[in-house]
Amino acid sequence: MGTIAKIHEMLVSKQCSCAELTKSYLDEIEKSNGELNAYVNVTGDEALKTAEKVDKKIASGEEIGMLEGVPMTLKDNLSTKGVETTCCSKILTGYKPIYNATVWDILQSQNSVMLGKTNMDEFAMGSSCETSYFGGATNPFNTKHVSGGSSGGVASAVGANIAAYGLGSDTGGSIRQPASFCGIVGLKPTYGSVSRYGLIAYASSLDQIGPITKSVEDASIVFDAISKYDDKDSTSKGFSGDTYSSLNNDIKGMKIGIAREYLDGVRDDVKEAVLNAAEVYKSLGAEIVYFDLPALKFALPVYYIIACAEASSNLGRYDGIRYGYKTEHYNGTHDMICRTRSEGFGEEVKRRILLGTYVLSAGYYDAYYKKAQNLRGTIVKAFNEAFTHCDVILAPTVPMTAFEMGRAVSDPIETYLTDICTVPVNIAGLPGVSVPCGFNAKGMPIGMQLIGKSFGEAEILNAAYKYQQAAGENFKDTKWGVKL
Amino acid sequence: MVTREDVENIALLSKLFVPEEELDSLTQSMQEIIDFADEINKAPSSDEAFDNINNLSNVFREDEVVESYNSEEILKNAPEQAENHFLVRNRE
Repeated sequence: MGTIAKIHEMLVSKQCSCAELTKSYLDEIEKSNGELNAYVNVTGDEALKTAEKVDKKIASGEEIGMLEGVPMTLKDNLSTKGVETTCCSKILTGYKPIYNATVWDILQSQNSVMLGKTNMDEFAMGSSCETSYFGGATNPFNTKHVSGGSSGGVASAVGANIAAYGLGSDTGGSIRQPASFCGIVGLKPTYGSVSRYGLIAYASSLDQIGPITKSVEDASIVFDAISKYDDKDSTSKGFSGDTYSSLNNDIKGMKIGIAREYLDGVRDDVKEAVLNAAEVYKSLGAEIVYFDLPALKFALPVYYIIACAEASSNLGRYDGIRYGYKTEHYNGTHDMICRTRSEGFGEEVKRRILLGTYVLSAGYYDAYYKKAQNLRGTIVKAFNEAFTHCDVILAPTVPMTAFEMGRAVSDPIETYLTDICTVPVNIAGLPGVSVPCGFNAKGMPIGMQLIGKSFGEAEILNAAYKYQQAAGENFKDTKWGVKL
Repeated sequence: MVTREDVENIALLSKLFVPEEELDSLTQSMQEIIDFADEINKAPSSDEAFDNINNLSNVFREDEVVESYNSEEILKNAPEQAENHFLVRNRE
């Protein structure tokens, strides 16, 4: 049974009240957040208010929904009405949205208990959570190591049992990579299946919101709840049907593809764990097919060109006029805006704005941005072709395990390389789920990724669920937090 | 080749100030990233059009008047405001 179902049963059978449960989560946050730095804002009073509401409902004999009363968290780039939402940037300090992200509207209306907002790389730009204005979240398996990023705070909190689950966002791997580093499950849904309304934009054609959870079952429950059509997001499509009812389907005969390019440059311990998972699938009756996906070679530069181009445009809105930080002393409007932005943005954000402006500027547009868009088309086509040979693709999530704090800061290119296995999914708008598949010699978790066809969430979660049932020993708990 | 002048020009377009002492290291770091981005120019040229993922089409709603936010709410987050407006800057 997953964490969510377990909590639901505890509440319904009155083993504990929702207020007691929420209090124990808040106590554990208090105890461990100093070391984990997962939360940047704890909203205890609000959480307890919602918990009391749920308790009243239970006391009066009313039925409660699966997610009702379950203590959870949101990444700090998801807008929460009246609750500070900073993207972990100085430029948004003090910003309290006047509306909710649609995903939070959905979950709040189901009486989800939000414990607080969690840490992230500034504006989701980073792979270690260390570009956060508040410093990085640490890894619950070893706090000298990074949590991953950009949704590092959510992954750290869920891995450390100081949230039952959380929502993150994934532009180039920001859900799957930290989930992999922290030994838990992270689902990046198909572009368009979850509304992006209220997600503070990084790169709009790549961004997607999704769940970070302890188990595949939990990811399925949360995805089914949030994947609704929304007229406030012009690229929303919603998800028809559900993923939960097919979780336990037999996967005999399922064709699982391995693209050789995904294994290039991957560290041996990671490669071995992924290939072991392929053996598990074989024993479950699935068929493993190898194939080539040469277009993947260009995925990483294509991703950085498109993401930075979109970011340079999206982040143009931070001018010190309508919200957030404003410089104190200035001389004229241009000076005010430049000072505000120079003082408000961190180094990595500035670097990406500059790169994005460069690839969009006259003289470079054709060589970089336009070329990258063309290659994006090539990559989409290559995936479509790949799915004529197989039903899902199995790949590593990250070529390595969580590295030590401080390493990512020194070399941007080396840090960008950690995203090599995750970005293709965003480029092609496909769903991908990261699932724990082993540990390295130092006990740090390894993750594998299952990639599906467009709107193929049910298939990848089915494959992931079957794997968890067969290889549950890879879903190891940490010493932290609430023990249910 | 990324030059100091390029970086100064791009910074201006991006409305960012780059302190003189950071200009050289930033130029070098931009050059490294551009070299890395240049990988794509090794790809065979394709005219694969990309305008959309998953055949999504823009969603437009009917042009009806719906409830929105009042100006007081909208102004809540403004660092400075005056007479129910955003204050861009004070007059010199």
